[in-house]
Amino acid sequence: MQENANRIAAPPVETRLVYAHGLAAIVTLLISVTFGILASVELFLPDLGANHAWLSWGRLRYDHTQGIMLGWLGNAFFAFLYHAVPLLTGRPVTSARLGQWIFGLWNFAVVAPGWVLVLAGFSQPLEWAEFPIIVDVFVVLALVLAIVQFLPPFFWRGLEDLYVSSWYVIGALVFTLLAYPMGNFVPEFIPGARGAAFSGLWIHDAVGLYVTPLALAIIYFVIPAATRRPIFSHFLSMLGFWLLFFLYPLNGTHHYVFSVIPMSAQIGAITASALLGVDVIIVVANLLLSLRGAGVFPRDVALRFVAMSTIFYLVVSIQGSVQAQMSVNQAIHFSDWVIGHSHLAMLGFATFAAAGGLVHVWQRIPWVRYNDPAIEVSYWLLFAGVVLMVTDLTIAGLVEAHLWQSAAPWLDSVRAARPYWIIRTGSAFPIAAGFIALLVGLTTGPRGAGLRSVEQTIGLEPVREIAPRLAPAVSEVQ
Amino acid sequence: MSRNAGRFIRMSYLVASVAGVLFFAMSIALLGIWPGRVLEDETRSMSPAHPLGLSVSEQRGRVIYGREGCAYCHTQQIRYLHSDMARFGAPTLAWETRFDYPHLWGTRRIGPDLAREGATHSEDWHFSHLYSPRTLVEDSVMPPYPSMFDGSADRPRQEARDLVAYLDTLGRARELAGPEGEAHARAACNCPNDEMAQMAFHATALNANPARARRLGSGPKLAPNGDLVRGQQLYLHNCASCHGLRGEADGAGAVALHPQPANLAGHEYTLDRLGYVLWNGVAGTAMQAWRDLPAEDLAAIAQAVHGFHVAQQEPTLPANIVDLGAQVYTANCVQCHGERGAGDGSAVGELRMSPADFRGARPSLAESLRALRNGVEGTPMAPWTGRLSEAELSAVAYYVRGFFQGAR
Repeated sequence: MQENANRIAAPPVETRLVYAHGLAAIVTLLISVTFGILASVELFLPDLGANHAWLSWGRLRYDHTQGIMLGWLGNAFFAFLYHAVPLLTGRPVTSARLGQWIFGLWNFAVVAPGWVLVLAGFSQPLEWAEFPIIVDVFVVLALVLAIVQFLPPFFWRGLEDLYVSSWYVIGALVFTLLAYPMGNFVPEFIPGARGAAFSGLWIHDAVGLYVTPLALAIIYFVIPAATRRPIFSHFLSMLGFWLLFFLYPLNGTHHYVFSVIPMSAQIGAITASALLGVDVIIVVANLLLSLRGAGVFPRDVALRFVAMSTIFYLVVSIQGSVQAQMSVNQAIHFSDWVIGHSHLAMLGFATFAAAGGLVHVWQRIPWVRYNDPAIEVSYWLLFAGVVLMVTDLTIAGLVEAHLWQSAAPWLDSVRAARPYWIIRTGSAFPIAAGFIALLVGLTTGPRGAGLRSVEQTIGLEPVREIAPRLAPAVSEVQ
Repeated sequence: MSRNAGRFIRMSYLVASVAGVLFFAMSIALLGIWPGRVLEDETRSMSPAHPLGLSVSEQRGRVIYGREGCAYCHTQQIRYLHSDMARFGAPTLAWETRFDYPHLWGTRRIGPDLAREGATHSEDWHFSHLYSPRTLVEDSVMPPYPSMFDGSADRPRQEARDLVAYLDTLGRARELAGPEGEAHARAACNCPNDEMAQMAFHATALNANPARARRLGSGPKLAPNGDLVRGQQLYLHNCASCHGLRGEADGAGAVALHPQPANLAGHEYTLDRLGYVLWNGVAGTAMQAWRDLPAEDLAAIAQAVHGFHVAQQEPTLPANIVDLGAQVYTANCVQCHGERGAGDGSAVGELRMSPADFRGARPSLAESLRALRNGVEGTPMAPWTGRLSEAELSAVAYYVRGFFQGAR
């Protein structure tokens, strides 16, 4: 009974922070996608940026991935956390004022200056760590503040009642803070192969301890909220959670297979990569069983985003387990196959989860505009774009790998990749259009249309349950 | 939920949380710190005593390399794989990266690996290639970096100089360590049964880049009946950028090369000479080697090159002029070009590139005179107008053409 009382007395969500981070997410997403498209075009029109150093391929590439990771996913995750943490814990986040600071730091001390500095030629040549060190300092500061903002509510009532999404949020915030310096600072002080070992850890931790757990937190949150059924198994959810946090950090060295890094470390990482596939099967099985009855393409578009995210997660993880194995890795490593893999992870799995979370949250804020048809269009454009891009890059990778194994001149692999690079840029257009449609969907249409959309697809009950908690903002607007 | 069950769950979460943190710490220990120690030991034991670090300029070049994202298309890490070794050379050892703050290993190869790029291409090749990659390599997708130049490839700014200086250091330390260094490293490794570790010491070539020019080598015997049409296609896509469409050394890529590319139309070549140059490149010049092309393609290119030469009626000169040419040659040219014009004179060892080999390549009279009057920029060949009279110039220009060893 006590629990129910807590739940009903759930505190208001800071909807304005949700809104601010949500919009920032999509704006930074569109900018990051522009960087990506320009970089992809330069692979077949390499003289495009000839007269502007800031337009050169390397700098665009840096800004593309950092913008996606920090700008788009970071803001989308924050937006989701401002909605989910109060609902999961029955407690408000620590402080709305602190939220404004985090928002300002993240966007105006990290993402924006990071982009500008990279374009101006100040960066560090480390993967998933390209923003210069001065920016990294602010990332760490913002992560500390995020822990202060979001974690205290979880410890208010003790850990035994925590839902799996809560665990993922706690794990992600704590371990991202621990892992971030390893990839961003350590290789500046530890040289060469030794530094690369740490880089490898961070390359995987960035995906495994920051992106994946927060994406899974969203999926695990949206599925029961949108299906109005409990998840299939809490036991499996916890098993999957702990296995993930045990196994993900041990994967890092698989980015440097057949390098001079001791073979036993490589084999350990490769083994962990295979086991990780098993863990993902457990997690995804639990998620798909939780979706039972809703179908692969549910009517609620937020749920549809996270359902597809779950499937992408399965595919990308099995792919990852396979490509870490030596026999596969020796051929496809360094090729476009890996670029396809990372797009399947970041654009398929993570972006679909983040977009689903954003739409889900938006539907439940009565005062924001919401345009259902635009989001429908967005979903299908993104789906088509991702499938096309990943298929194209995977084939390109196989072609390159084949030529590299042969005695053909190096340049033959570049020539052979060209048509695939053109198709890849082609695939970026439905994706960019999908993101614009998402922006349209979240900024046009009648205020409160999200609630009506939920009523139509899911029914009245959950809306009644959730809307009162968001009421203060409604009254402010009206 | 009963009180006991609650306590049990609380305890198990506590245990799991502690374990989670421990696993994270373990990942750092097992995959970061421990390999780091092994690599540090390896570095200490296998490295030459005083490996050459980077100069200030080279260090600046390294920063530019990082800033422009070069490592995102060019790895600097040759893996312990036969496919990598065949293309790039010996696998990268830990000690070779000991000065890399931060490492530039990379995880994507669009262009070739650069771990052994040093001494693979000439400086002028790099400048031209950085300024405008496609004037040298037609199908390259490398971005151009004209902002590092003052308007043309032969006017590099400090940035371009630093970057090229850095590129020339890649693989240098191991190259300088030489066979003694390899022996030392192998002894220090003390791992005769570790098949993979042994791969690092048994590569056929430390630098296996098929484009790397080498001064001493042998060329393949090319078939005299190469496919002309295929040869012309290959020439168009691989050679014309510098040597020009008609072999007149007027391609766009020729502008900033010192020495200029060979004027193929102005020379007559033996098949052996073409085979030698295609296989080994011309060390000290921008002419790279083409060992990644199959022999029939090289034979086809040779056919295309032969096609540029228009046979002319050779004038017969009076004996006294021939004698004068011989005298001048013996007095002035023989030290470098050798008694038989093979480019093997006694001073060759002190030159940074091989002198022209007149047995394999016969310049036209005009070409021959041009070289004598103007010298050949970018080579030790100086102008001779100050020291030789017009008659002597003409005589020796004619004389050197006599060394040519037969048609084709």
